Formats: sequence, structure tokens, C-alpha cells
Amino acid sequence: MSASLATTTPPRSDTPTLPGESATVSPFPVKVQIRNVGFHYGKFQALKNVSLPLYDRHVTAFIGPSGCGKSTLLRILNRIYELYPNQTASGEVLVDGIDILAPGLDLNLVRSKIGMVFQKPTPFPMSIHDNIAFGIKLYERLPKSELDDRVEQALRRAALWDEVKDKLRQSGLGLSGGQQQRLCIARAIAVEPEILLLDEPASALDPISTQRIEELIAELKSDYCIAIVTHNMQQAARSSDYTAFMYLGELVEFDETERIFTHPREKRTEDYITGRFG
Amino acid sequence: MQLYTSRRLSNYLIVALSLGATAFGLLFLVFVLGTLLVNGVGALSPTLFTQTTPPPGSAGGLMNAIFGSLAMTVIATLVGTPTGILAGTFLAEYAHNSRLGEVVRFVNDILLSAPSIIIGLFVYSILVVPMGHFSAWAGAVALAIIMIPVIVRTTEDMLSLVPNELREAAAALGAPKWKIVVTVTYRSAVQGMLTGVLLAVARISGETAPLLFTALNNQFFSSDLNRPMANLPVVIFQFAMSPYADWQALAWAGALLITAAILVLNIGARLFASWSGLEK
Amino acid sequence: MAAKPEMVAVTAARARRRPAGGPGDAVFHGLTMFFAVLVLLILGGVIASLVSGALPALRQFGFGFIVNGAWNPVTENFGALAPIYGTLVTSLIAMLIGIPVAFGVALFITELCPKWLKRPLGTMIELLAAIPSIIYGIWGLFVLAPFIQEYVEPALIATFGRIPGLGILFAGPPLGIGVLTAGFILAIMVLPFIAAVMRDVFETVPPMLKESAYGLGAITAEIVWRVVLPYARVGVVGGILLGLGRALGETMAVTFVIGNSHHIHASILQPGTTISAALANEFTEAVSDLYQSSLIALGFILFVITFIVLAAAKLMLLRLQKGAGATA
Repeated sequence: MSASLATTTPPRSDTPTLPGESATVSPFPVKVQIRNVGFHYGKFQALKNVSLPLYDRHVTAFIGPSGCGKSTLLRILNRIYELYPNQTASGEVLVDGIDILAPGLDLNLVRSKIGMVFQKPTPFPMSIHDNIAFGIKLYERLPKSELDDRVEQALRRAALWDEVKDKLRQSGLGLSGGQQQRLCIARAIAVEPEILLLDEPASALDPISTQRIEELIAELKSDYCIAIVTHNMQQAARSSDYTAFMYLGELVEFDETERIFTHPREKRTEDYITGRFG
Repeated sequence: MQLYTSRRLSNYLIVALSLGATAFGLLFLVFVLGTLLVNGVGALSPTLFTQTTPPPGSAGGLMNAIFGSLAMTVIATLVGTPTGILAGTFLAEYAHNSRLGEVVRFVNDILLSAPSIIIGLFVYSILVVPMGHFSAWAGAVALAIIMIPVIVRTTEDMLSLVPNELREAAAALGAPKWKIVVTVTYRSAVQGMLTGVLLAVARISGETAPLLFTALNNQFFSSDLNRPMANLPVVIFQFAMSPYADWQALAWAGALLITAAILVLNIGARLFASWSGLEK
Repeated sequence: MAAKPEMVAVTAARARRRPAGGPGDAVFHGLTMFFAVLVLLILGGVIASLVSGALPALRQFGFGFIVNGAWNPVTENFGALAPIYGTLVTSLIAMLIGIPVAFGVALFITELCPKWLKRPLGTMIELLAAIPSIIYGIWGLFVLAPFIQEYVEPALIATFGRIPGLGILFAGPPLGIGVLTAGFILAIMVLPFIAAVMRDVFETVPPMLKESAYGLGAITAEIVWRVVLPYARVGVVGGILLGLGRALGETMAVTFVIGNSHHIHASILQPGTTISAALANEFTEAVSDLYQSSLIALGFILFVITFIVLAAAKLMLLRLQKGAGATA
């Protein structure tokens, strides 16, 4: 550890540090502990031995060149890869101490705790109200008025309520790209997850919508553990507390965002950040 | 230069020939529809819908045949549509790398183009023979068997067009697979699937051969599904091949009705598809 | 950090959660699989019923059934040769006329016609396929056959009938009804199917390929002949086989105009019969068991022939798809 780090870091916690894991501690606990995770597409190994923590009430950004495995890693966290054959994960992902990669878990219940928003907005072909209600109805049987309240709540938290409150019965497909993405975010948080996974949520949107999404993330982070994959480094620097840099399926460096972008420890990180490759 | 000229000439020749071929095809379309119109319109009258098929030499209509065709088409659609949709769903959602899926697809395509008279023979042996008599049920089943491969095909094609992201988004919320298919995927593809059903109905509307050995025909009006039932195609067959002018006139009228129904269904299905934004 | 008011409700809601699963998945999977397997069972049933129905006749006549040209319900001497011959010849005529025309149509629609015309033209050609067989049948009987009898057949007899050797193909009085007319109607009926497959095939050719050829100065026809066709050869053959499969099984149109005579003539202007026409005409009148069984045996033979042709078509079209994917 360099001298500057020794004077500014708080005392180390008891959790053993794995390669790539930072020695810093946040006041919030580790919500997700990723341990020795590997991934195969058929014979091709896409992830090798990745370990890092995701802290509750914080945003962790995953950056790296195309194909480095950041989206793959995200998709392991809610086991969405299991929809496809020939894709297998190894290692452990501990959410609140429970390994969600273990067999025998109620997968749908796991997914209810972990929300995901995809790169391309994916509103269901139903009304805006039904889009949000879809997830809620999977788990709870609510009277209509309570359901409507929950829908309104979710739309408010996603900063979409004012724009759609008069057209809740209209199809979600009629909204603009940015609105659709906020609809997807509202839909994801309506089921009250504890963790939010965002896979390049703003990359298909115009700059103004992107900004609104980023503002939304900043608001939401006080209630959720958020992991965001982005190819936009400025976005990572702006929006996240911790950053993980990945390259060719490996976690190269993980640290507080400020440190990664000002004093990266690894040369590869520095090269990527300064644009020597990407 | 000479080579170039001869190349140009042969090019013109080929253009002319393909234009001619297209004209040939269109010519016959117009020819067939035209004669149908000319001969059929003359025999159109309200009595077509009010009177039953007459013995030769007397006046009559096609009411029992029209009723029979409608009844059997409706039953066939009610039987064939869910079967086709569910089988197509299996192929699209559950059978990506499975051997069973490949085999079913292959067999389905064979059935799609198989001679319909063979289907008639099949239903004859499994329904008519054990029952001891011809029946509208058997006719409807034969028509359903002809519809099923069409609907399986269109359902599978339409479901496959639904982007995977939509399925992933529903799965990420924790929805079980069946719910994803029924509430998200079906809803996305509903217009295409409906078009497929319409086209399948159009296909069976004119089928004669499978009805020859199953529903047979009935001179009189009957709504008893357990008995032979009159239907337009077989009536046309019988009347057109006969030497009686009034029967022949009725045959043309019936042919016009069937063709009009089929064209409306076909063109309607296409319009529906493009209106709902399906065709690119 | 104190809990926000809305998060209190959220935490309570999380505790209320019930599992979303249940037997739904297994039931639905089973249901869809059942109906998929039903499709297989239908084909199996068709084969089984044909075989069992044909067995008495096949046992009675053996393989000689296929080469026996007789068909006598009175003496119960049945042979499949005439119907098989008629089926093959009418289909052959349909292919000879239909393939070049379908090719021309597909070529015109994909390469030569103006953009705005493509869709309406394509739709109109597809309408040819939507017209049911029986309509072609009565049109053929009342309109086409007399026309052919009046004009076409005398012309054919006058020209080709004179040529030794070839003449026997066009011998005999002009009847209008017969193998030629049936073959011609079949050609019109299968034309849209072959054209549709050819169109799809032509359109899968990567534009890059065509553009580079145009860039080299090639003319449209050459491009089709030398670039499009070789690329799409397998698909074109598949389309042709698909059309053939349809032609072999067509019933009503053929029944009206073929004349229903269980005789084999060299001349295509004479009447004949096909397997499906024989079935359509005679099945409900077949009084004896052997008669009926012989007809079912004919059906079985037709099924085998069409199965082979359709399976070959499918395999070829599959190969084309894979090939296109591989080179894309």
C-alpha cells in the first residue's frame, strides 16, 4: 500500500480480501459478494475467477472494452443466462450471505430481489399501468386501489409519473425512448428489489434522456444496491462510488471510483482510462 | 463490341420472356376470376340463401350447403386453432436444440403439403368406419387436420420474431416461463398469429377432397352433426359434373361464393398484417 | 440513515411476498409438448391407416399391382399402372410448363420490375395459389377444355402430329379433356408455389454479390444466370420439388378434366386418370372390399411418392438456409 493510502484509509474490516478487492470499507455492508466466479459460453471461457463486493446503497460501475465480460457478469447476478442452453456459471455469488448460484433455490424469488434494466428499452405490449402491475401481480394479490397506488409510487420514483399520469391506459410502446427506459426502471422497482442491475441503461438514448437516467440513479442509490455496466467512462466517473475495470474476462482492478480515475494501480486500467485502447 | 451487342440482345430477350411469363400468370388469374364472375353472377339471387339444393330440373338454392360449410369450418377452426397454436408454441419456446422439435417441424411441413385426399382417407378409416356412417364431425376433423400444420407454421414463425429482450425482461422480474409466454410473448405476436389463423381458414374453405369421404353430402338441410352434411365444395363437384343446366348454374354460383370468401379472407389477412405493422 | 417513509411500506411489502412459481411451468410445457407430439401422431396415423387399408389388395396382387395396367371392378382385377402413369405424366407436363414460367415470374418480380409494382404483383401471383382446386376444376371443364379442344389441340396435331416418333405424343382426336389439359391446369396451380420459393431464394442472395457483378459491367440476365442461380441452386431445386409435391397430390382440378379412363395412351391428348382422380371418383362407389382396398393402396402409393418428394424438397431448402447462414 502506498503511503497516501495508509493515511487516508479507515481501518481494515475483518472480511478477507480477495485478489482485486479493495481494502477500503464503507459504512454500509456488502450486499453482494462475488467470489471466484467463472462463466462459459459452450467451450469458450468468458469470465475467469472474478471476485469483488457490491456495497449496499452504493453504485458500482463496471467498465472495460467490448467483450471484456462486464455484461456477462451482470447477467450472472440474476441468473438470467439460464434462459439459454450451453451457458454455465461457476463460483459463488452471496447475496446477504446466501449463495444464489446454488441449485435448489426458487429462482423466481431470487429474481424478485434483484431487478434488471436492459440496454434496449423493453416495454411490454400492454398499457403503461399494466406494465408496472405485471411484476407486482406476480407476487402479491392486491385490491385494485392498492395496486394503482403501487403503480403510481413506482412511476413517481422513476420520475415518470408527471409525464404519463393522464395516459396510464395507453400502450407503453407509444412512449419515447427515454420514457420507455424510465418505464422499465419503474417496472423493475415496482417489485421492490433490493439490488438493481443496469446493463448500459442509457446507451440507446439521447443525451438529455441519458442525463435524466443518471439523475434517477443518483436518487435511487440511497435505497438500493446498484450495479451498472457502462461503456461510457465519463458516466462511470460521474455516477458511481466504486468502479471495477474488466479486461478479457478478468477483473483487473476494483476500487473507489475517484481513485480508479485519478490513481489507477494497474497499467492496463490506466491505458484504458486514458484512451490508449478501448 | 459484337459480343456486347449480343449480350444486350440476349438480355432484352430474357427481360421480354420474364415479362411474358408474368403476364401469362396474371392472364390466367384474370381469366379464371373473370369467368367465375360472369358465370356465377348470373346465378346469384337471394334464393341461394333461402332454398336448399334441388333435384335436377327444379329451382333451388344452396342454403344447406352454405350452412354445412360454415358449420364445419367453425368446428374445424375451434379444434385446429388451439392445437396448432400450442404445438407451434412448443416449437418456438421449448424446442430450440431438441431432436423432438426438429422431427415435429419436419413432419409438420410434410403434412402441410400432403395431398388432402389422403387426409380424407385417414379420417374415413378412423372416424367414418367405426361410426358406421358419414358425418359432419368427420368432415370437420378432416378440415382441422388440414388447418393444423398451417397454424403451427405461422405460430412458430410469429413467436420466433418476438425479440428475446422482451422475454428476458419478464424473466428478470421473476415471471415463470409459462406466464412469460402467455402474457408477454403471445401478446406481442397476437396479430401475426391471427393472420395465420385467417389464412388457414381461407385454405380449408375451398377444400373438397377431404370432405368427399367424410361429410359426403346431403340433399336436404341437416344440422345433425352425426349425419352427412351438405357442403359447398362437394355440391359444386356433383352439380358441375352433371349434365343439368340448372345444376351447373348453381355450381357456378357456389364457386363464386367460395372464391369471394377466400379472397376476402386472404386480402383481409394481408391488410390486417400490414395495418398492424407486421410487414416491412 | 433513517428509513424514508415510502421505504417502510416497501420493506413490509417484501415480507408479504409469496413465491411466483407453482405447477404452471410443468403443466404448460407438457401441454405444448402434447400437441406437438399430436402432429407426429397424425402423420403416424395416416401411414398406419393407409398401410392397413391397402394390405388386402397388396396381399392379393403383390408387387404386380404396380405394373398391372388393368382396372376391372367386375372381375376384381385392379392395377395401379394407369393411375400412376397419369399422375406422373400430368405432373411432368405441369413441371415443364410451370418451372420456366415460375422462373420468369420470380425473375421479373425480384430483379426487373419497378419497386412500386413488386408488392401488388407478388400478391396477385399468390392469389393464384389461394384459388381452390375445385374452382380450377370447373373453370377447366367449362372454359379451358373447350378452348383447348377448339384451338390448341388441332394446332398441335397439325404441327407435331406429322413428325414421326414425336407424333404419337400428339395423336388422336381433339377431345379437350385429357392428360394435356390436366397438366396445363396443374402448371397454373403450382406456378405460384414455385415462384414464391424462387423469389425467396433470389432475395437471399447477398446484394454485395450482385453489386460487385454489376460493378464489373454484367447485365441483369447474366447476373441471374451466373451469380444468383449458382448461389441459390439448392433452393431452386427445393422449390421445384415443392411444386412437384403439390402437383402430384392435386385432386379436384385434375378430376374434372382428365377424363377418368383407366387406360394408358402414349398421346397426351387422350384421357387418362391419376391416383387422386381415381380416388375422388370411385371411392364412395367402391362396393367390394377388394375394390376399396385397391383404391387405398393407390392412396398409399401416392403418399409414398409425395412423401419422398416433399422430404427431399425440405432437405434442400434446409441446406440452403444453412448455406446462407454460413456464407453470410
